[in-house]
Amino acid sequence: MTDYRLDALLGTSGRDPGCDAGLDFIDEYCEIVARGDPVPTRFADFLTHLGNCRACREDTEGLLAAVREEEDRKAR
Amino acid sequence: MDTLALDAESAAWLHGLQDHSGARDGTIARLHELLVRVARGEAARRRARLPARATEEVDDLCVQAANDALMAILAKLHTYRGSARFTTWACKFVILEASARLRRHAWRERKVELDDTIWDRLPDNAPPILERLEDDQLIGALHRAVAAHLTTRQRLIFQSVTMEDVPIDVLAERLGTTRGAIYKTLHDARAKLRLALTNAGYGEHAHD
Repeated sequence: MTDYRLDALLGTSGRDPGCDAGLDFIDEYCEIVARGDPVPTRFADFLTHLGNCRACREDTEGLLAAVREEEDRKAR
Repeated sequence: MDTLALDAESAAWLHGLQDHSGARDGTIARLHELLVRVARGEAARRRARLPARATEEVDDLCVQAANDALMAILAKLHTYRGSARFTTWACKFVILEASARLRRHAWRERKVELDDTIWDRLPDNAPPILERLEDDQLIGALHRAVAAHLTTRQRLIFQSVTMEDVPIDVLAERLGTTRGAIYKTLHDARAKLRLALTNAGYGEHAHD
């Protein structure tokens, strides 16, 4: 048995700020990813939360898609 | 307000929304148009995951999400600090509103209840995560840990989210609480289970 197999079910034990605190980072994080810049280490706890929380992961994917769509729209 | 240096477009949005002359109404209308567009984009992105019957009324949900997001944005305008562009900050509100509504809409005809038969159904109907655990004794150890260490509410939330893929927004609505509170309960339940499984000799998880 590996930790990976349990992590998938039980989440990781790293610092996880939870959904509400994670929302403070989601917009800045999506812009960094959309630009293709390296993600600073101060996002580590937020990324732990994304790994543990499917709803926040989906919302982040949604916001990233929106950021990219709006950029494409401006470029057209 | 401790605001970072804003890009010109974000500054213009902020100025337009804080302007108490007639220009404010026009800015609000443009913002609402953006929010509806983003909500519809999110609905389109998620459409494949919605049951066929749930695709009705989706456009109404998008407009409702945009309306509520607009109210939240105007109420929280003073908290915008410029760490992201204004439109990205604003879109965050409508993505959260739209996605929560869409998840709840998709689950509106499904029950959420504590169902311990899920453990018996695992061999034939296991989510991918659990299928990988089938070959050893871990499922049995996990079941025992859930029964021994979690409260009824923790069991309901842990089993619903991790074993039956119930979205936490749906649980929050059905249990009359917030998404953050549901996640906190899930987080605490997971920590208990990690500790119990580690003490039982499974895995090498660090304790929270």
